[in-house]
Amino acid sequence: MLALGRRAWSTTKPIASGSDHTAEIVGGDVLAPKFRFYEKKRGNRRTGSRMLGSLGEAVFFAVLFLLGCAGLVVLLATLVVPEYRANHVFVQTQCVVRDKQLGRKDTAEGPRFRPEIRIEYQVQGETYVVRTYDIRQAYSASPEEVQAVLDQFIVGQQYPCWYDPDDPKVAVLVRGYSWWFWLTFLIPVSFILTGGAGLLYAAWTWGKSAERRAAPGARRAPLPRADGIHRSAYPSVPNPANITNSPGTELAFRLPLAGSPSLRLVVWLVVALGWNGIVSVFAAWAIGEHVAGRPDWVLTGFTIPFALAGLGLIVFFFRQLVLATWIGPTLVEVSDQPLRPGRRYEVFLSQTGRLRLNSLEVLFVCEEEATYRHGTNTRTETFRVFQQPVFRKEDFQLVHGVPFEVRFPLEVPAGAMHSFQSENNEINWKLIVVGDVAGWPSFQRSFPVIVYPPGEGSPTAASSAQGSGNVGKLPR
Amino acid sequence: MNEPRIQICLDGNGRAYRPGETLSGEYRLESVPLEEVRAIEVSVLWFTEGKGDEDLAVHHFRRITVDTPAAELRQPGRFSTVLPPSPLSYTGAILKIRWCVRVRVFLGRGKEIVGQRDFQLGVVPPARPVAGAAELPPAEGSPASSGSASATTKSAGRAPAKVIAV
Repeated sequence: MLALGRRAWSTTKPIASGSDHTAEIVGGDVLAPKFRFYEKKRGNRRTGSRMLGSLGEAVFFAVLFLLGCAGLVVLLATLVVPEYRANHVFVQTQCVVRDKQLGRKDTAEGPRFRPEIRIEYQVQGETYVVRTYDIRQAYSASPEEVQAVLDQFIVGQQYPCWYDPDDPKVAVLVRGYSWWFWLTFLIPVSFILTGGAGLLYAAWTWGKSAERRAAPGARRAPLPRADGIHRSAYPSVPNPANITNSPGTELAFRLPLAGSPSLRLVVWLVVALGWNGIVSVFAAWAIGEHVAGRPDWVLTGFTIPFALAGLGLIVFFFRQLVLATWIGPTLVEVSDQPLRPGRRYEVFLSQTGRLRLNSLEVLFVCEEEATYRHGTNTRTETFRVFQQPVFRKEDFQLVHGVPFEVRFPLEVPAGAMHSFQSENNEINWKLIVVGDVAGWPSFQRSFPVIVYPPGEGSPTAASSAQGSGNVGKLPR
Repeated sequence: MNEPRIQICLDGNGRAYRPGETLSGEYRLESVPLEEVRAIEVSVLWFTEGKGDEDLAVHHFRRITVDTPAAELRQPGRFSTVLPPSPLSYTGAILKIRWCVRVRVFLGRGKEIVGQRDFQLGVVPPARPVAGAAELPPAEGSPASSGSASATTKSAGRAPAKVIAV
């Protein structure tokens, strides 16, 4: 490292470049350019040849696009154009039915059938005899349906028909569009859209560095946030609008509960009902066999473990229901939001229910959350890096209709990292209410808060903090 | 012949910068075949390191398409930007947020040379695992996983007997 006055010249470090022609600089030294055809790829990190990778992606999407185009052309040529010509170009005339039969074709899925009607008609003095019905000449799996079509025509009688003026030996007895068949267009069109979008993306990113793609000018301008603060004011800090839109009754803001207990109950109810509904069919069958005097022990043995699991699901659901009912709602309010490091705030906790608690504790925690892709799987890992008990009360009774209410101070440590949110990584602060219920499993409810970087804060926060005092002592 | 390199110099001797402060400095191309230089990109950016997939956001970006005489490229190039209030540099247990100045030089035939100089934005002490923290289930509503894998949730410290999120 060279020191020039107050400047420090860099000791550059290796970065995840991966370009096949990129010289990686390590400690001021330049490594030889690398060219690697294939390497592992974890998530968005590509450690192989960037140019080769981009080329591979472009080829992949080009193949998709071309396959879609080819499929579309085939469908147009075999379905759309013939049907359009039959409906709009073919010329009407009269024909005589000379013969009719059930056309049959044996396929791997079984025999297929279609109506084959021999008709005779004249075009400009020339007589044509052809076997036909409609322009698609499609086969059906149902001989009854085809026979019903044949029964509509009587040999020797005259019927209208339509012939192709460009090729008079092509004629049909019925016209119309087979709309259901047009659903097959979804396949080539989806290929074209996927391949086209991929090609456009490949063209947009071709030759561009990761920095250029992520540069502010390359993205749409950020929109103003609901709370009036422009999102770029605190980049990568979560939007506090969702946790400041609910005023509290005791303090300024009521914190939202992460997740919904009602939704969890509904999910467990659906799972329990679905599982037991399926099991009950087999159980009824097995019981019926026993009642009829011909017990099926294999079916019985197969059903019993599933029935026991279903019983467990029912017990678990009712346990959750009782817990949710007896514990009652937990309300947490805070004197100001978002929080700032080094500031003091006041928290209000209200817990209702009808049970005895060994302890009720509120933890102020910070957790890192990392999401990574491993093959086709996406995993999220959480790691707690800060935990501070801010309130604890032991051995007391919650009486129905009389909520337990308490106020206590909350101090955000000076130097605490602010809340952070990016695509794959997060730093989350939250208040967690943990209850140790006598005779029951403990419960916990989580209330997210947002911590801003140090800086200007709300005056209400400062004033309330000054008045709260007693930080660091746990009221009991 | 010396290997090509990019020297990046920060005014202020590479100290920790405060949000809102101006970061400025110079870069210098050394032993780079200047006649082959097609473009230079100077970025001030942050990126993440750790367990999660890498996130990257560019705060300041400047691309210089080189149509100047090679002699001018021998002079140091300057950059300057006002640093944002967030995110601050951070060293956590499974996540790090690093700020850097990155200079990427594009040469002919697809060759690139990259130089990077880290710096610190803000002063946040390194995080440490919580000793004796209770292991709790993931918060309700927190993202768990997609695809066929189940979420892996870890926390430092002992695990209590039984905790149910309700």
